[in-house]
Amino acid sequence: MKGIKILERILLAIPIMLGIAIIIFFFMRLTPGDPVDIMMGKAGMVSKAEIANLRKEFNLDKPLHIQLFLFLKGLLKFDLGKSFTKGMPVMELIKETLPATIELALFAMMFALIIAIPVGVISAVKQNSWIDRFAMAGSFFGISMPHFWLAIVAILIFSVKLNLLPTQGRISYGVELAHITGLYVFDSIVTGNLEALIDTLKHIILPAVSLGSAMAAIVARVMRSSMLEVLRQDYIVLARAKGLPEWLVITKHAVKNALIPTITVVGLQMGVLLGGNMIIETVFGWPGIGRMVVNAIFARDYPLVQGVVMFYAFVYITANLIVDIIYTVVNPKIQL
Amino acid sequence: MKKRDVSWVVVLIVLLMFSLVLVGGCGSKQEKSAQDSSEHKEVMVEEGGGTIVIALNTDSIVTFDPANYRDRETETILRNMFDGLVTRSPDGKVVPQIAESWKALSPTEWEFKIRKGIVFHNGEVLTAEDIVFTFNRIIKEGAINGQTAARKGLLGPIEQVEATDEYTVVFKLKEPFPVILQALCHQQIIPKDYYEEVGLERFLEKPVGCGPFKFVEGKLDDKVIMERFDDYYGGSPEIPPVGPPKLKRVIFRMIPELSTAVAALKTGEVNIIQRVPEDMIEDLKQDESIQVKEAKGTRVYAIEINNKMPPFDNPKVRKALNHAIDMDKIIKELYKGYAVRLPGPMLPYAFAAHPNLEPYEYNPEKAKQLLQEAGVKDLKVVIDTEPFREEEALVIAEMLKDVGIDASVRKWEWSVLKAKMKEGSRQIYLTDWGNAYLDPFDFLNPKLKTGGRGNYSFYSNPEVDELLEKAGKEVNDEKRKELYYRAQEIIYNDAPWIFGYAKISVEAATSNVKNWRPSMDSRENMHDVYIEE
Repeated sequence: MKGIKILERILLAIPIMLGIAIIIFFFMRLTPGDPVDIMMGKAGMVSKAEIANLRKEFNLDKPLHIQLFLFLKGLLKFDLGKSFTKGMPVMELIKETLPATIELALFAMMFALIIAIPVGVISAVKQNSWIDRFAMAGSFFGISMPHFWLAIVAILIFSVKLNLLPTQGRISYGVELAHITGLYVFDSIVTGNLEALIDTLKHIILPAVSLGSAMAAIVARVMRSSMLEVLRQDYIVLARAKGLPEWLVITKHAVKNALIPTITVVGLQMGVLLGGNMIIETVFGWPGIGRMVVNAIFARDYPLVQGVVMFYAFVYITANLIVDIIYTVVNPKIQL
Repeated sequence: MKKRDVSWVVVLIVLLMFSLVLVGGCGSKQEKSAQDSSEHKEVMVEEGGGTIVIALNTDSIVTFDPANYRDRETETILRNMFDGLVTRSPDGKVVPQIAESWKALSPTEWEFKIRKGIVFHNGEVLTAEDIVFTFNRIIKEGAINGQTAARKGLLGPIEQVEATDEYTVVFKLKEPFPVILQALCHQQIIPKDYYEEVGLERFLEKPVGCGPFKFVEGKLDDKVIMERFDDYYGGSPEIPPVGPPKLKRVIFRMIPELSTAVAALKTGEVNIIQRVPEDMIEDLKQDESIQVKEAKGTRVYAIEINNKMPPFDNPKVRKALNHAIDMDKIIKELYKGYAVRLPGPMLPYAFAAHPNLEPYEYNPEKAKQLLQEAGVKDLKVVIDTEPFREEEALVIAEMLKDVGIDASVRKWEWSVLKAKMKEGSRQIYLTDWGNAYLDPFDFLNPKLKTGGRGNYSFYSNPEVDELLEKAGKEVNDEKRKELYYRAQEIIYNDAPWIFGYAKISVEAATSNVKNWRPSMDSRENMHDVYIEE
C-alpha cells in the first residue's frame, strides 16, 4: 500500500517539474535581450550569416513551441542541453560548480552555529549584563553589514594587512589534492592530506565567515529570545528546585528546548546560503554555482539557467518526498 | 522538529549525494591531473625560471579552442599557448610571427611564407597544411563537429586557404579585405595531425599549439596553468628578445572582483592585474612593491543619440548637445585624467583617424542658441546607461540641465538596454564599442553605416555609406585614408553622437616583474617577461 502511495507521489512530481520547466522556459524568453547578440559582444565584425548560424545551432530560429518541445524532450533523457556561452553540457557545468557552493554554505552555517548558539545562550542567561548588550550590539552589526562590504574589509584586514589568509580561490597552486567529492576540506580529511587540509581551511575561512555572519547574527538573536522564554517555564523552575546544578539546567533542559525555533530559522537561512552566495563567490573568486547562474542570466544563456533551476527544483521535490516518507516511518499516524 | 526543518536538512543531504555521485565519476581523471601537476612541480624546482600569476578580470573564459570564442580574456590566455601567422607589437604594429613574409598577389589573393623549423608542443612540425587546416575550421560552415566557428565573421571575405608548397599558403578572398593582416593577428594556429587524431573533446582537455607556453592544466572558471615550451622557435623577430621564454610557469587566475584582485596583488598572491580602477591608481602608485603602467585603450566610449527620433533628427540639436557637455571635465574629474578625448568617432591613434578634427567646444551659450534655432523648447530626455557609467550619466544630465534640458538618468542591465535601444524607443544612451583592429573598417562599419550591427544611433547618411563601402574594398592605404577622412568629416558635422573618449588602460604588477609592458589590446604576452628573484 505504502509502495503504491510512494509511486503515486513520484508520478505527481512529474506535472510539478513540467510546470516549473514551462515557467522557467517562458520567463527566460520573455526577458529582453538576445543571447546571440550578447555573445557577439560590443566589438568587431560579425556577419549576418554568422548570427543566423548561431541562432540555428541554438535552435533559436525555431518557433517557441518547438523549442519548448526540444527542451522537454531533453529533460526526459535527463539532458539539460548545452550552455550557449560555455559550449558544454549543462549537467557537466552543474557537476563542476555545485561542490564548491555546498562546501561554502556548509562552512558558513557551521561558523554561524558555533558562534551564534553560545552567544545566544550566554546572552539569555546573563540577560541585560554587559556581555548581553555587547553580544546583541554585535549581532545588530552582523545583520546590518552587507556581505560584500564585510568580505572586502575582511580581505583588507586579514589578507592585506595581517597577511594571514589568502584573498581568493579554493586551494593554493602547488598543493595537490585528490578530488573525491569536490568538497576540498572533506577530500583532504578523507585522503589524510594535512597540507591540503590546512590550505583549504585557510581559503574557506574568510568567505565562510563573510557569508555566515548575517546568519550568525540572526540565529544568535533568535536563540536568545527563545532561551529567555524557556528559562521562564515551570519545568526550569522545577529543575532548579530539585537542586540540579545551573549548568545542567541550562544545557540539558533549556538549550534543548530553545533550539527548536532556532532550527526553523537555520533551515530557512540554509536556503539563503545555498542560493544567495553569488556576491561572496564573486568577491572571493569562488567558482560556485551561484556565480555561474547569475552570469548565465546576464548572458541570456537559456539552457544553463533552465538547467540549474530544473536541477534545484528536482532536488527540492526529491527532498520533500523523502521527508514525507521519513515522517510516515517516524509517526505511523501520518499518511502519505 | 517541524516538517520544514527536516526538509532543509534533507535538501542538503540530497544535494550532497548529488555532488558525490556527480563528482565521484570524474575522480580518477582529476587525480591524474594532480599527479601530473606534482611531476611538473618537481621539474620546476629543478630548472628554475620563476612562476608568474596573472589575474584576469573575468568570471570565466570561454574555451581552449582558438577557433571558437568572442572574448578578450580567452584570447589573452590562448595567445600565450598558440601563435598566429602575424601578431601585434605592444604599440599596435602588425609584425610577422609564424609567417616569415607576405605579399598581396592581387587585391583578393595574399601569399604567406611560413617560417621553417617551428614545432608544436607535441613535437609535430608546423607546415602549410596546419595553416590551411586551422583556417578551414574557421571559415567553413559546420567545420567544428557540425558547428560553425564563432570567429568566422572576423575573417570577413576570406573564402579559401590553399597550400601551394610545404611552407607557402595563399588566402583567396571574395573581395578585397584591407584589414586582412589586422584580422590575422587574432587567429591562432593548431596542429592538424594532433587534432585529427584526438578529436575536439580531447583537444579541449589538452590543447596543443606552438606558442611560448604549453598547457599543463586548467579550469575555465578558475585558473589555467602553463609552462615554458623549451623548443619554442622564438617568436616574432620584430619583438626582441627572440628565443624561449624566461618564465618557467604562467598561471592565469579568474578573479571577477577588482578589489579582490588589487588585494591579491598587494599580498603578492598575484603578480599582474588588469583594469585597475581609476580611484585605486594613486594608492597603488604609492606602494613601493608595486609598479603601475599604462597602455592606450582600443575601446571607444560615446554618448549616442537616437538620430531618428525628433527633435534629435535635427543635426542642430545634436550639435547643441555636443556643445553642452564638458567632456574634458568628465575625463579630469570622473576618470582622474585616465582617458583620451576623441574629437570625432575614431580613436586618434587608429589607422586613418582624421588628424585635423577639433573636439566640439564646451559652450553652453552656443548650445542654448542652437536649441533655440532648432525651435526646441521644454525638452525632456532620459539618459540610459549601464550601471558602470551611472556617475557619468548623472554628470551629463546635470550639464544638460544647465542648457535648459530636463534630463534624468535610467540605469539598465546591458542586455535589456541593448534590446531597448534597438527598438528605437530610447533617446540618449551611453555605449562603448571595441576597435581591436585599430582601423575604421571594424569600427565605422558596424557603428555608423546604415543598418550596422552596432549602429544604435540609427545614423544613416548615404554619402558616408558609400565612402565606407569604397574604403572597405580599397587596398591602397593612402586612398583608403582619404576616403575615411572624408567620411569622418561628414560624421563630425552630422554629430550623430556626443563624441566621447577612450580610456587609458591601467595595469599593475609586483615590482619583481621585469620586462613587462601592457599591450593596447590588453593582451598579456608573457614571452619576454621574467621574475627577478
